[in-house]
Amino acid sequence: MSTGTTQHPGLNGQQKADRMSESSSFSGPVLRLIGAAFAYPGEGEVLHGVDFELAPGERVAIVGESGSGKSTLLHLAAGLEAADRGEVHLAGEALAGLDEAARTRLRRAKVGIVFQSFHLIPTLTVLENVMLPLELATDANAAERRERAGRQLTAVGLGDKGDRYPEALSGGEQQRVAIARALVHQPALILADEPTGNLDSRTGETIFGLLLEQVRATGCSLLLVTHSHELAGRLDRVLTMRDGVLQLSEATEGVPA
Amino acid sequence: MSGLVLRAWLRDWRRRPLQRVLTLIGVIIGVAVVLAVDLANQSAQRAFDRSMDEVAGAATHQVLGPASGFDEAFYRDLRMAGWRDAAPIVEGPARLPDGATIYVLGVDPLAEGPFRGAASDIGDAPVQRLVTEPGTILPPAGWFRASGEAHEARRVLEAAGGEHEVTLIDRAAERDEGPGEEAGDGAADDMGASLWVTDIATAQVLLDRLGRLDRIDLRLADNEVEALAAALPAELELVAVESRGQAARQLAQAFRINLTAMSLLALLIAAFLIYNTQTFAVLRRREVIASLRLVGVGRRAIFGVVLLEALLVGVIGTVLGALLGVALAQVLVAQVAQTVTDHFFAVAVTGVTPRPLALAAVFLLGVGLSLAAALAPAWEAARAASPAGTGRGGLERRARGWAAWLALAAIILLLAGVGMIVTGAGALVGGFVALFLLIAGFVLLLPWVLAWTLRGLAALVRGVTLPRIAVRSLERSLSRSAPATSALTLALAAAIGVAVMVGSFRGSVEQWLGQALTSDLYVVPAAPASARGGARLPEGWTAGLVAQSGAVSVSSGTTQEVVSDRGLVDLYVVRPHGDWLQYLPLLETAVPREALGARLAADDAVLVTEPFAAHHDVGLGDRLSLAAAGGRRAFEILGIYRDYGNPQGTVLMTQAAFARGGAPPDGVGSFGLRLPEGADAEQAVERLEAWLAEQQRAALVTRPGDIEQESMAIFDRTFAITHLLRVITLVVAFIAILGALIALQMERAREFATLRSLGLLPGGVRGLVVLQGGVLGVFAALAAIPLGLGMGWLLIEVINREAFGWGMDLRLPWVEVGETVLLGVGAALLASVIPAWRMARMRLVPALREVP
Repeated sequence: MSTGTTQHPGLNGQQKADRMSESSSFSGPVLRLIGAAFAYPGEGEVLHGVDFELAPGERVAIVGESGSGKSTLLHLAAGLEAADRGEVHLAGEALAGLDEAARTRLRRAKVGIVFQSFHLIPTLTVLENVMLPLELATDANAAERRERAGRQLTAVGLGDKGDRYPEALSGGEQQRVAIARALVHQPALILADEPTGNLDSRTGETIFGLLLEQVRATGCSLLLVTHSHELAGRLDRVLTMRDGVLQLSEATEGVPA
Repeated sequence: MSGLVLRAWLRDWRRRPLQRVLTLIGVIIGVAVVLAVDLANQSAQRAFDRSMDEVAGAATHQVLGPASGFDEAFYRDLRMAGWRDAAPIVEGPARLPDGATIYVLGVDPLAEGPFRGAASDIGDAPVQRLVTEPGTILPPAGWFRASGEAHEARRVLEAAGGEHEVTLIDRAAERDEGPGEEAGDGAADDMGASLWVTDIATAQVLLDRLGRLDRIDLRLADNEVEALAAALPAELELVAVESRGQAARQLAQAFRINLTAMSLLALLIAAFLIYNTQTFAVLRRREVIASLRLVGVGRRAIFGVVLLEALLVGVIGTVLGALLGVALAQVLVAQVAQTVTDHFFAVAVTGVTPRPLALAAVFLLGVGLSLAAALAPAWEAARAASPAGTGRGGLERRARGWAAWLALAAIILLLAGVGMIVTGAGALVGGFVALFLLIAGFVLLLPWVLAWTLRGLAALVRGVTLPRIAVRSLERSLSRSAPATSALTLALAAAIGVAVMVGSFRGSVEQWLGQALTSDLYVVPAAPASARGGARLPEGWTAGLVAQSGAVSVSSGTTQEVVSDRGLVDLYVVRPHGDWLQYLPLLETAVPREALGARLAADDAVLVTEPFAAHHDVGLGDRLSLAAAGGRRAFEILGIYRDYGNPQGTVLMTQAAFARGGAPPDGVGSFGLRLPEGADAEQAVERLEAWLAEQQRAALVTRPGDIEQESMAIFDRTFAITHLLRVITLVVAFIAILGALIALQMERAREFATLRSLGLLPGGVRGLVVLQGGVLGVFAALAAIPLGLGMGWLLIEVINREAFGWGMDLRLPWVEVGETVLLGVGAALLASVIPAWRMARMRLVPALREVP
């Protein structure tokens, strides 16, 4: 099977990541897993040879029971964990060929992550939290960063709360900040791990709608892990993770996985 | 308490051994330092007391004469007059070939019986040998065992009478006992006196006292004292035994108080370390606490289990600390004994024996400190009912609230400390109390100052995200960052304070030596410096010395212990150079300086040193009744001058004043020669040495530089122990900041993992952690400067003045201050290396899953 990987022989991790982040010509899958398998140290295998592709702009949900391996798939996709077997390609780059620093550079350029428990930095204000990816991933100057982060906050409805610290916000507001932070640097892929898991159903519904709206607006791809079949059904494609194996859900059969 | 609860709690030891090890190290070092200093102090104290007691023996009174001794015929006359409970003594210091200073006690073994205990408990066989074989001497009990020599050895002793080979006899062997099995009341004690007992005739040869005695010991009934005093010739005095050695005892005690204060400071810093790690130990287990509470474990049980753990840590740490302390004491005791020998009295300590009381005290201290440090975290743990309640957020909010209250308490303590200094309450102990009040006040003020500093710094780096995270994170972890910073601040301040004190002292001593040594060459008895006091050179040498060296002026000086209305005092009789008063560092005078020289020569007038004035509470215009030539006379104090030569203080009298109405002192302690301008000093030295060889008297020529070097070597030896304690204190502080940074970073692991997932490189994480260490280090170092300088000032102006009566010019050792600041920042940066490495290498997913 062709991996569709864009290789840059002779370049180091920094150069490769820079080339990746600069490249806009890449038109293959944003994310591609080929026979990816993973086991946590001292435990049995969680993922058993997963094959998966995510096209640019595509929005895919993965559902499944606790411990089935959904989140682990997300961690492999983000390069937070390395696959034990198989291949993971992010924006055309094989993660296995990159060292830790290069993986990090690729992640910050191409990926935005929304966590279940928000993971905002408590020592930064809301605005600073949103500015963080811009500072890490772009050359924007301070004024630009402030302006872009402010715009993104306004887009999620928190334009007036930039000076507050996360602890002063409600759970729903904190997740809005997390969405703004994930999108502000215009990544190619948003990875969302149970983004409504810590919220009540009504707030969860609102936040989910906001996430979809923002993803649509920016045109990036979305890979979302959730327990909720109802929410999942609103995406382009739904896959079910069962015992470490990815299967096509009944509702979306006919669409290639 | 349920066994399962205990198990649930203590199993954390296996999961996080590093934290427990750090807590243990805190207890171990704290306990070890306190115990070591205490043991060393006690051992030296016992050696000192024993020496003083054995020198005096069971005598109630002593007949004393001039420094050069008095005619031994007087002893015979005394006995013939019916005073039979009397024993003649010739005594003085000497030096062994290995450089150790010993104290030679020459006794009449036949008259000794009722007087001395262990030191001269010499048995029949040695008595015979001592009396019949000249040059035999009995080393202190245990010497043969310690030196590994057989029952008899030969050594060359260097003393006032020059070098003499003597035969050392093992008193145990002579009594047919096993080696080292001495009889007596603990004579085998390893901190026995350094008294070397010999027959009086041998002592007279060794100490240059042929035909003379230093004193006669007497046992007198109250009604006999007056009769004997009246019967004594003018040059002899009858003194009660308890008045001897008092000044030296007090000074040695002041020296020990200084050391004890340093060791307590090390313990205080260790307390910060223990507190920090105990708090962390509880916080890391907040999930366990919450789960236990949820299944019905009561608050008391939680409180109890935390304290029980602290008790375990305290007991293990104290036991290990006590073992280390005994080992460390072996190193310290040699230094303490050397200092006592250099300044007060020759003592020898060959080892330390921990006393049960000292061990019990240090056990209570170590365990008590561990429990006290765990009280606050135990209370926190018991109070919390849910994981959220035991989280950092609640603690930090409370910590920020406490900071303001602590600052208020700090101001009260600081005011109390300043009040004590201003009013001078409590003398030496009061000085230390004031010092600790100021330290405590400053340390309690630090969290509040740190919080505001970090807030200010965070505002400064607004817009620079990563430094802002680093600084804000420190501010939000005040309960962790403040104690660690306090520990480092305290250690650095102690280092600066000691540097200020030692630097000022050293500078003043050097300046004083430069002023005091106004001759180009000195001729002194060939005895070690500490043994020179009793050695004498013939007065008649003056002409010969001038002839050989071409000197344009010759001075002489003789120190002797004389009787006064203030007890026995050291009297320095000088025949000075004409311009001597220009160089004498006079602090105050009762008459104009130009008239001082004439008054000192023509009247019954003296000068006293600063320590003398302080110890005897005398000032200008006061009169001292002193035994000079021709008997006791009253001398007016016309001036006070700076002197570091004798911590007990000295009275300075011109030879003209001393000899009025009698003869000048018998012999001279040292000659000072001024050479003509442009004269070749080397040639003069050669000629003098050749001439001295012909005189067949043990004397040598020294230059001011040699004397300066020797004096500064003694000075440096005195403060070597202080430097050692300073290093230990810094080590404890380093461990404290290391523990705090590890704790801080582990608590922030989730935050770091988030940053990493957002794209911060491992190097960025390392940079953040090192930046935090650097910020704490710089803060601690900057805070340590005012505290250290204040401590230094207090040590100089209050404590040393009260303890020793020494005044000195405050010198700010900026190089040492700079070094200490760099050391602090360096230590903090170094301490951040391990947590930085750990954070950069951590696995992200488990850290992201941690409960916030």
